[in-house]
Amino acid sequence: MGMSPALSPRPNPPGSNAPANAAKARPLVHLLNHKTVPSPSLASTATTPGGPDEGLAEEMNDVVKNQFVFGSRLGEGTYATVYRGHYRDDPSKLVAIKKMKKNAEWQDGINLDSLREMKYLAELHHPHVINLIAVFTTKDENINLVLEHLPRGELQDLWQDKSIAYGGADVKAWANMICQAVWWIHENFVLHRDIKSNNILIAADNSLKLADFGLARSFANPEADMTYNVITRFYRPPELFLGSSHYGGCVDMWSVGCVIAELACREFFIFSETDLQHLVRICDVFGVPTEAEWPGISKLRFWQEQLENSPPKRPQPMSWWRNKMPLIGDAGIDLVKGLLAMDPAKRLDAKQALAHHYWTTAPKPQKRENLPGKGGKAAEKAMGEQLKRVGPEADEEKMSKIARKLDFGAMR
Amino acid sequence: MSRAAHAPSASTKRAGEDDDICPVCKSSRYLNRYMHFLVNPECYHKMCESCVDRIFSHGPAPCPIAGCKKTLRKARFRTQTFEDLKVEREVDIRRRVAKAMNKEETDFETLRDYNDYLEEVEEITWNLILKVDVEQTERRLRRFEEAQKAELNPNAVRRSVDAGPDTSTLSETSHVILKKGGAQRKAQNVPSGNMPIPEDETGFSFRGLKKRKAPEPEKVFDPTSGWSVDPTYYNVKDEYDHKFFAVKHEPRFYAFGYKAPEYYSHALRDAFGGLGVFLEDDRTSEEMDFGTQAAAIAVGGGRDVDMNDVF
Repeated sequence: MGMSPALSPRPNPPGSNAPANAAKARPLVHLLNHKTVPSPSLASTATTPGGPDEGLAEEMNDVVKNQFVFGSRLGEGTYATVYRGHYRDDPSKLVAIKKMKKNAEWQDGINLDSLREMKYLAELHHPHVINLIAVFTTKDENINLVLEHLPRGELQDLWQDKSIAYGGADVKAWANMICQAVWWIHENFVLHRDIKSNNILIAADNSLKLADFGLARSFANPEADMTYNVITRFYRPPELFLGSSHYGGCVDMWSVGCVIAELACREFFIFSETDLQHLVRICDVFGVPTEAEWPGISKLRFWQEQLENSPPKRPQPMSWWRNKMPLIGDAGIDLVKGLLAMDPAKRLDAKQALAHHYWTTAPKPQKRENLPGKGGKAAEKAMGEQLKRVGPEADEEKMSKIARKLDFGAMR
Repeated sequence: MSRAAHAPSASTKRAGEDDDICPVCKSSRYLNRYMHFLVNPECYHKMCESCVDRIFSHGPAPCPIAGCKKTLRKARFRTQTFEDLKVEREVDIRRRVAKAMNKEETDFETLRDYNDYLEEVEEITWNLILKVDVEQTERRLRRFEEAQKAELNPNAVRRSVDAGPDTSTLSETSHVILKKGGAQRKAQNVPSGNMPIPEDETGFSFRGLKKRKAPEPEKVFDPTSGWSVDPTYYNVKDEYDHKFFAVKHEPRFYAFGYKAPEYYSHALRDAFGGLGVFLEDDRTSEEMDFGTQAAAIAVGGGRDVDMNDVF
């Protein structure tokens, strides 16, 4: 958890919009410091309750809070309620306000996924990452995240809604926006760990925004073990099923590959009922990885139980891919296969994905204003539904229970 | 507009069929129950369908009505829409002019200019309807069309100029023009004396017309939208010779998806993260009111730096 990009070497965004973004994030950082992460130099002055700085913190919070007006409720979930809101001085500037609920498990302090979300969103500013505008608390000590208003729903609704027709150029534009977002967060050493098509929201200008950083974490040091119970099953890479405890950006890239494949074939790319089944499904498509194809695979925790004795399987031929996703052409299939390489070392990283020839071969990516989509009330409601979704904490807990019950003998 | 001439039922009586006698063959509805009249917009002389078939089936022929020498083609015969042939003709002319002169109010800088233009359109229309200065007006209209085409698609006009002069001016000739190819050959023989038209005669230089801007050439697609985070203060090497970086050679890293280069650049970014950023430059005036200096320094300096980093 090394850096605070608000003050990092200045990234070089096009034009001069970055300093403005960085400036916007500042009040939030102050609040975070005050409430949650007392840093050594602040501790003396700011964090003692009732200390001399209490008044200042209150004042800062009020100033931020008073900038926004709550509007109608868009959705309510276990962990948060989402309201539509707008700036007090300009009612045409809409925002979505995510009011985190206090819950029984986290009596003291902030619950972990809202903390993660604040921590990383405050630092990441990119056109394709959801913008956290401000954070404030209300009198009952609820934390409110003021997020960008994204009225056009989730990416998943788009490919699932068969009344919307789209073509190869549209897929290319969307895929590129997703890759840019992931490239940016990886470039800033943040792993998203829950990329899926319903965590990608569509802004009013049709650009995609990566949202829900509730499972995000910074790239780990080599000695730190990471949990492999992350990422929604359909989007989880094989090394996590095999129990990898040291991974990097490549886990997100697999998810990106799944999302692009999903857009191209308009169904979940690899789907299964259980975690166990999922690895089998992956092998159905890509073949059973061997030590030769994936050096070191036998060192993975669950390799022996899951794969050692499974019969060899060939990967699907190119004709299968062409048949499955005619929308993206051979170049697109090459990109998807690169992103869905079984061996994480061979998988394209975000930078390589952006350098892929898919972007430059015909057709050109669709212009943003011509991208198909849906709008209106239903989509806005979807935004509410998405933002308030049950925090990944709960998911993780559920998953860990499942993991304990896995019966690897059944694979044989 | 030109509907295919199906055999019409006797009960439906069409506009302009009240006199019921064909001026060419003198056949009447009494003799031919399904008689159906057609006109050709070249001269608007009415004749029955069987006459059209008889006279024009073998190609263009002069109009059979006495005194009319227009060359007519079968394909252009159609059922008339309006009972009054004058109205029919006016509608045709208006449609033609409106198709050529289709500027809109937004194309002009002021309403006054637009109104002047509309007046011009009306003048051309009435000249054609009342047959005043037909030749000159036609020329004006054509020049206007060409100018507009040139404006929209310069390449197409250049091509058509290369292909040869326009042939449509020759439709006035008294004899039957059999084939287009022949017409073109003829056109090349016409002395070019009457081809160039003096600029002042063109009559389509409208005042206050906005300049049409050519759309900007499309930029080459940039997959990163121009964003970059190349480090300013250091270079990341592919390999570091230190026991701490043995991660590269241990399967529990490389097989598990942990990439040493990611770790190297992360560590270097952590080390050099705040360099070259000056708080004073970054802070806007409104923020100066809150956020003490100490807090700002804390954000930049102390927070979250992992002290285990060897850098």
